[in-house]
Amino acid sequence: MDSWDWSIIQRTWPLMRDATWVTINLFAWSLVLATGLGFVLALMRMSSISCLRWLSTLYVLIFRGLPALIILFFAYFWVGRNLSLSPFQSGVVGLSVAAGAYKAEIIRAGLLAVGRGQYEASEALGLSRAHQMRRIIIPQGVRVMIPNYMSNATLLLKSTSLASVIGITELTGLSRQLANSTFKPIEILTAAGLIYLALTTVLTVSQEILERRFSLKT
Amino acid sequence: MNIETIQEYLPIILKGFWITVHLFLWSLLFSTVGGFILALMRLSPIATFRWISAVIGWLFRGIPLLLLLFYAFFALPAISRSLMFEPFWAAVLGLSIWTAAYQSEAIRSGIISVEKGQIEASETLGMTKRYYMRRIIIPQSIRIMIPPFIGNAINTMKQTSLAAVITVPEMTLLARQIISEDFKVAEPLLALASIYLLLTTILLMAQQGLERIFRLKV
Repeated sequence: MDSWDWSIIQRTWPLMRDATWVTINLFAWSLVLATGLGFVLALMRMSSISCLRWLSTLYVLIFRGLPALIILFFAYFWVGRNLSLSPFQSGVVGLSVAAGAYKAEIIRAGLLAVGRGQYEASEALGLSRAHQMRRIIIPQGVRVMIPNYMSNATLLLKSTSLASVIGITELTGLSRQLANSTFKPIEILTAAGLIYLALTTVLTVSQEILERRFSLKT
Repeated sequence: MNIETIQEYLPIILKGFWITVHLFLWSLLFSTVGGFILALMRLSPIATFRWISAVIGWLFRGIPLLLLLFYAFFALPAISRSLMFEPFWAAVLGLSIWTAAYQSEAIRSGIISVEKGQIEASETLGMTKRYYMRRIIIPQSIRIMIPPFIGNAINTMKQTSLAAVITVPEMTLLARQIISEDFKVAEPLLALASIYLLLTTILLMAQQGLERIFRLKV
């Protein structure tokens, strides 16, 4: 075995740093869009109109049953080319569509966990349904959602690595290129792994902070 | 897009079906054994074991699977020639380690959810720890483990698609080849998606079947 050469990390650091930003951008955009999509799907699922309930159920069933990689292929080769999106945009679309199905279930479970009495009480007070959701149910549901929401966000962060397959030079894609071009796969891939660990640890810590902030003050 | 082209592509993609299934079954086998060992280590009275298991869990749940696969495929051979695997076994290695980190949590939560009274009762009856784990605790915990265990298994089945990236000729790779050779997108991807949906449905049915078999008969 050749001796390990850690100076390669120093030399490739500017590239690694930029690629880490691409990963973070992909993650942030997909998280926002997936949360919005999941929220709409959750409300559809709880709606009184059976057609909306049905559509939402079907969406979740299909997109949770498919590998994220296949959804990204659809987003890149099919949606992306028809709408002439950039690879980054197709990546965000694919990741959001896939993650939205999981977010929908998490948000729905959170909203359902709010006691029935809360719905009845706010109706008795004459609040409109929109008002009731916004001021009574959602604030209470958020507390229940946090652990699942955040662990799902960690999964999303890790699945941004799939974007390398559709030609986006994010952290995993870059490490793969550098591993081949520098002939130092151990050092490069280990460095990339450490960056991912740092990012996922940040998410775990922020989960704890959020849980504390939203905990019941009794 | 037409149905006939989908029918034409289906047999080509199905050539990779058994490779996908083999990838899945080997990874499921190794990850179950690995996850079980990690769970027992985490519950062990020896602090070093608990600590090692926690670090392994944190490490492999914090890194994207794709990066792990690159590690198994590019970095291990660079460490030592004897660690050069065929793409198929490199994929099984990556998938197994990654899944084991998740399965250990499913197995551990199943074991700790068995009431303390059961352990106390078996100790009162003079059973050794080994005996009551095997005959009293684990059989009861299996019922609780089934949903998260199968949930992880479904994830692993979907993630076998990533093996395409390290050149394992499973279904996703074959579909990807059709896309680049025939310039057809929707047809091969729809054929591929329908096979994956079928596989996830089978696993969900297996979950329901197992839950019925292990249900408490009262």
